[in-house]
Amino acid sequence: MDTITKEQRKAALDLMKANLASDSKFQTHLNACVRCGLCATSCMYYIAFKDPKYIPGRKVNLVSSIYRRYFTPEGKYFPSLFNARNLDAEMAEEMVDCLFGGCTMCGRCVKHCSIGVDVSYIVKKGREMLAVMGLVPKTLQATVDAAINTGNNMAIPTEEFVDTIKWMEEELQDEMGDPKANIPLDETNRHIIYTLNPREPKFFPLSISAMAKVFYAAGESWTLSSKYYDVTNYGFFNGNNEEAAKIAGYLYDETHRLKADKLVLGECGHGSRASRWEGPNLLKKAYDFEMTTALELMAEYIRTGRIKVDKTKNQTLCTLHDPCNLVRNGGLLEEMRFVVKSCVANFVEMTPHGNDNFCCGGGGGQLAMSEYNERRLKIGGIKADQIKATGAKIVITPCHNCVDQLMQINHTYKLGVTIKTVAEIVADALVLPDPASPHDNPADTAAETVADPLHTDSNSSK
Amino acid sequence: MIISAWISIAALIWCIAFLVSYLIGLIRKGAPKDLSERSGNTVKGIIYSNTGAMLPAAKESAYMHLPTYTAGMIFHIGNFLSLLMFVWIIVCCCCNISTPAVLALILAALLTVSSLCGIFILIKRFVNVNLRSISCFDDFFSNIICTLFQIAGICIMLSFSNICTYTDACSADRLCLMNFYFIVAAILFIWMPLGKIKHLIYYFAARYHLGFFYGWRNTWPPKHI
Ligand code: SF4
Ligand code: SF4
Repeated sequence: MDTITKEQRKAALDLMKANLASDSKFQTHLNACVRCGLCATSCMYYIAFKDPKYIPGRKVNLVSSIYRRYFTPEGKYFPSLFNARNLDAEMAEEMVDCLFGGCTMCGRCVKHCSIGVDVSYIVKKGREMLAVMGLVPKTLQATVDAAINTGNNMAIPTEEFVDTIKWMEEELQDEMGDPKANIPLDETNRHIIYTLNPREPKFFPLSISAMAKVFYAAGESWTLSSKYYDVTNYGFFNGNNEEAAKIAGYLYDETHRLKADKLVLGECGHGSRASRWEGPNLLKKAYDFEMTTALELMAEYIRTGRIKVDKTKNQTLCTLHDPCNLVRNGGLLEEMRFVVKSCVANFVEMTPHGNDNFCCGGGGGQLAMSEYNERRLKIGGIKADQIKATGAKIVITPCHNCVDQLMQINHTYKLGVTIKTVAEIVADALVLPDPASPHDNPADTAAETVADPLHTDSNSSK
Repeated sequence: MIISAWISIAALIWCIAFLVSYLIGLIRKGAPKDLSERSGNTVKGIIYSNTGAMLPAAKESAYMHLPTYTAGMIFHIGNFLSLLMFVWIIVCCCCNISTPAVLALILAALLTVSSLCGIFILIKRFVNVNLRSISCFDDFFSNIICTLFQIAGICIMLSFSNICTYTDACSADRLCLMNFYFIVAAILFIWMPLGKIKHLIYYFAARYHLGFFYGWRNTWPPKHI
């Protein structure tokens, strides 16, 4: 990058000014870092590369140095004393490299920061500044553009998607031995609208049939949309909130169009976060329908006895990878373990795990930014070591992005493990009712489901 | 009161005015607004953020760096003690009272330990390549001025405790000492709201926001699994 224009700088500074005027969290975290450097060893980038540019506090200071330079008197008049830096081409380049290419926004350093600086939040704000300057890495932007223009980030044509679903439906019917077992598409007035990561129809269609099997066993009233089924939202990572809002709006509008009671977010960490936690804030309104994750839904099915699982069906030693956006940033630590431990006979935790777990390395949009592939795989070495140490043969994770990164880690570091989603593990453990028995046929119980007091808004057509 | 004492009081007023303005700025912007459906308990999250989450066992920045963490904690205790001592010394000057010798000796001993910790952290910042790479003048100066304030406090306490016998000549030395103490205090107070010592305010705000964020999402207080 040779230069940045006055307009680019102005756009970034105007955005910072607007955020400063309204957001006490922004003001707080810009001023809180004491540059103690103790967060370095909490960040997998620093651990993997031992390069000070990856120290989380330094990433914070890239953004806060601009704040000091333009928005504080001391930084304006004595910039060198306070590390107040101009927003010039060199700075912008460094920001792109460190904030896009050197952080998965996993938040691990946040929990371990000696002060409590929300590093990933500041990284996000830095990305927003780069976005208004038009400096989002091209590959990431292309993913967002695809989602905006086609409704899914892999630009899968609707016909191809529908074909895949029909194929999976046939497989489901064969497996269940029940011609009524189906994968509904674009049905209205269903209790649930379910969403997918486009990687599923593209590369892992069996995970769709796994979840369909769970719905079948639960006798759920559900549907997929043939157009807006994409749970991911890379707009959350490219820093363009308008684009993020537009993508979040697709699912919001589709839930209304299909008149579903509940939006169920498929197994995708950042996608769940982007809708569950960020969606209402992006759209500036509280959602007027229920929203939950597939993980929570499966936990509910198991707890209420709506599906029966037999853990002895999964005997192989399993471990669990906690997606950062579902656990540390989503509070699903217990739910995830409840489901997995209900479905596997032999389980071992990684060290560390839960809220302390290391990111797989594919978060923060890294999987969409091929420019940083080498870095991504190198930081993945930490996860590889964690997996190896467990001795497990199956790694379970409720996130398709994590699955993708874990598969690449599996290949690169020759781990010889199998990666599975939670739905796949639950599907493997299902104790299925006998379709021959009229009282046992889940496809028939879909209508009964609507009478479930939990689903008070349902009507008889569902 | 000597003129340097007045200067330090003026500097303290400047400092408080700035810090209060930061605080008002934060309060004015209001509590965090979140339109998503809350899953946890923000009050419990904030309480945990300021209690359990700050325990050494909960943070890698503490348990993986125990010597630095311990030195940092002691240094910070010394800083707070020094600030309280400043108020006490001003009161002593105004009311012409003196500190009991035993108390003065205890305070001097405590500050000796904390200022040594400050020096340890300063040396680490100079020596450690990583730390140096993320440091600027403010980082060094903030540490130096706080440590100096503690050392000046030690000198004052020792003089209060009458460890030296004061002759008339010594009185001049003592005046010099008092001037030194109050000038260091004034520099510290002027610097405090400009440099990173302003985290005195922002630390608490950061813990609040973090507790709110994780409490809202049901991450904090952590679940036992
Ligand atoms: S982010 Fe936290 S741990 Fe890291 S340098 Fe800043 S204050 Fe220290
Ligand atoms: S959010 Fe994660 S990747 Fe980013 S600096 Fe912190 S620990 Fe590193």
